[in-house]
Amino acid sequence: METLQFLIDGFAVALTPYNLMFALFGAFIGTLIGALPGLGPANGVAILIPLAFTLGLPPETAMILLTSVYAGAMYGGRISSILLNIPGDEPAMMTCLDGYPMAQKGRAADALAISAIASFSGGLIGTLGLILLAPVLARFALTFGPAEYFALFMLAFATLGGITGKNPVKTIVAAALGVMISTVGIDIATGTQRYTFGVLELFEGIDFILAIVGLFAISELLFFIESKAGAGREQVQVGKLTLTAKEVGATVPTQVRGGILGFISGVLPGAGASLGSFISYTLEKQYLGKRGRFGEGDARGIAAPEAGNNGASSGALVPMLTLGVPGSGTTAVLLAMLISLNITPGPLMFTQNADIVWGVIAALLIGNVLLLVLNIPLVGFFVKLLSVPPMYLLPIVTMVAFVGIYSISHSTFDLYFMIAFGIAGYILRKLEIPLVPIILGMLLGPEMEKNLGHALVLSDGDWGILWGSPLAIGLWGFAALGLAAPYLIGPLLRRRMGAAIKEGPESD
Amino acid sequence: MSNRGDRVLGLILLVLALAYGWGAQQWPEPFGGAEEVGPETFPTLLAIVLGLSSLYLMFKPDPDAEWPLGKTAAELGLAMVILVAYAFLLEPLGFIPATTMAVGALSWRMGAKLLPAFMTGLISAVVVFVIFNYGLSLSLPAGPLGAE
Repeated sequence: METLQFLIDGFAVALTPYNLMFALFGAFIGTLIGALPGLGPANGVAILIPLAFTLGLPPETAMILLTSVYAGAMYGGRISSILLNIPGDEPAMMTCLDGYPMAQKGRAADALAISAIASFSGGLIGTLGLILLAPVLARFALTFGPAEYFALFMLAFATLGGITGKNPVKTIVAAALGVMISTVGIDIATGTQRYTFGVLELFEGIDFILAIVGLFAISELLFFIESKAGAGREQVQVGKLTLTAKEVGATVPTQVRGGILGFISGVLPGAGASLGSFISYTLEKQYLGKRGRFGEGDARGIAAPEAGNNGASSGALVPMLTLGVPGSGTTAVLLAMLISLNITPGPLMFTQNADIVWGVIAALLIGNVLLLVLNIPLVGFFVKLLSVPPMYLLPIVTMVAFVGIYSISHSTFDLYFMIAFGIAGYILRKLEIPLVPIILGMLLGPEMEKNLGHALVLSDGDWGILWGSPLAIGLWGFAALGLAAPYLIGPLLRRRMGAAIKEGPESD
Repeated sequence: MSNRGDRVLGLILLVLALAYGWGAQQWPEPFGGAEEVGPETFPTLLAIVLGLSSLYLMFKPDPDAEWPLGKTAAELGLAMVILVAYAFLLEPLGFIPATTMAVGALSWRMGAKLLPAFMTGLISAVVVFVIFNYGLSLSLPAGPLGAE
């Protein structure tokens, strides 16, 4: 029962008024970020990182803030799905299927309330799963040697494109570019200057925070300009809440099933929240069969994907916290924050930084309660903000990104770098090169090189050590599967998901 | 359907991979003699991976996305110029004037009317400046207006 003791300690960290305030603030901002089209969770968390830095927050507070934002964004994504039939972020797209029809019938308020409740149960189930699974996995991960870690990083890259990804070669290109960027600077092992071209600013390497903010925030602005979507959408009516306890009760089994399925797909590499909500919805539809009226505004059709995507978002934290290998864009950004805070993610974090890990987990539980409390009465407020046209919103978001980056180093050089990354990000997205592997490459590159070096030193230069243990071979095997999957089952899944959804932002 | 995009990308990436891989071979041997794994081992590996992928892209390109042309391309170019100008003017002009101009110009080009666009710029600039300088005591450049 030591887990329970850790959890209680975690609550002691998360419940201090200071941290609680940041959790509340994060939950609020997160819902906003999720709700606004064009400002996905990865993007939103990325913009907040420099701010968390310049505020000089202690590590556990900074992580609690960003995790609350992360959880909040998953709540917020559903608002525009239900009201506008436009998902605020990718995982929320399945919510459109029944949420929007229900809103059209004049029951928008009910749909929002059900989705908030389902998000809560999904998040709760996912967090419970996280509490049970993470310490076990962390203990298991302690047996990993450098060769296993190297194979694990390969697995992370191979599956990051996701089962629904289009061209695996483009994922490889993106990952290689990211790792290449991470090699710029002075080599830690030997002190050799690599690719610095004598430029002083490059000696310490390229800061991944400016790369992340540039790639996400600036490229998003350019995409909006290109699509000329500045005017936004018309205002929507929410109406009165007519939901009965009986109706909510009827969706409880759906919520539980959705939450568990979501959690599982969140933990699995390469699946993520989008697939979590998709699987929860489709299986629920099949399970209920004729008893459900899916697609016409069935409350269970809202509860399933919402529970699924919130379960998955907690599940996705499992590999990030225990192995230091994120499974989605947003968890990659959270990893960036950890690395910047000088915390080495991975199994050792559970012993060395137990207060942070368990503080974050407790904050997730508290955050879910806060979000439920925030979301039901404040939904009208969030709906109002939805009607702020992007032509005002995005320039302000861009400005906040500038301020954040500038306040880290007070150097204009970093701003130019950020803009360059933004323009590059726009061009790469146009060429369908995914951005998340680039970021993951920048984050994991140094660790990969270090582990490769250690493995080869241990084996006296024999490359065979990289696939020398059954565990390593297994990881390589899964990595190969991850690359092959988009060819084998990708087209089928994509067609099914595409049938419902036309547009979606870049990452989950 | 054209697929020049991926071919050009593949070519650029191939050149990059070659340059990057060649660069890795030029470093002097580290102090204390060469070991099994030197500073060049990992970059060489990366260059090979990127080189092979770029060849694949050139031989099996995906169909092109639609690239913006004419007016939209000009708008995009203008937005990039505004961003660079913002970074350039931030320190000499000070935060509030530079931000008013940048946010205003971007909103205006995204379809807002001139007055509301620049009012949005001014208000957001003042709010952020006050929060940062007084609330969080992080100094943003005040510029000539804020000279003490």
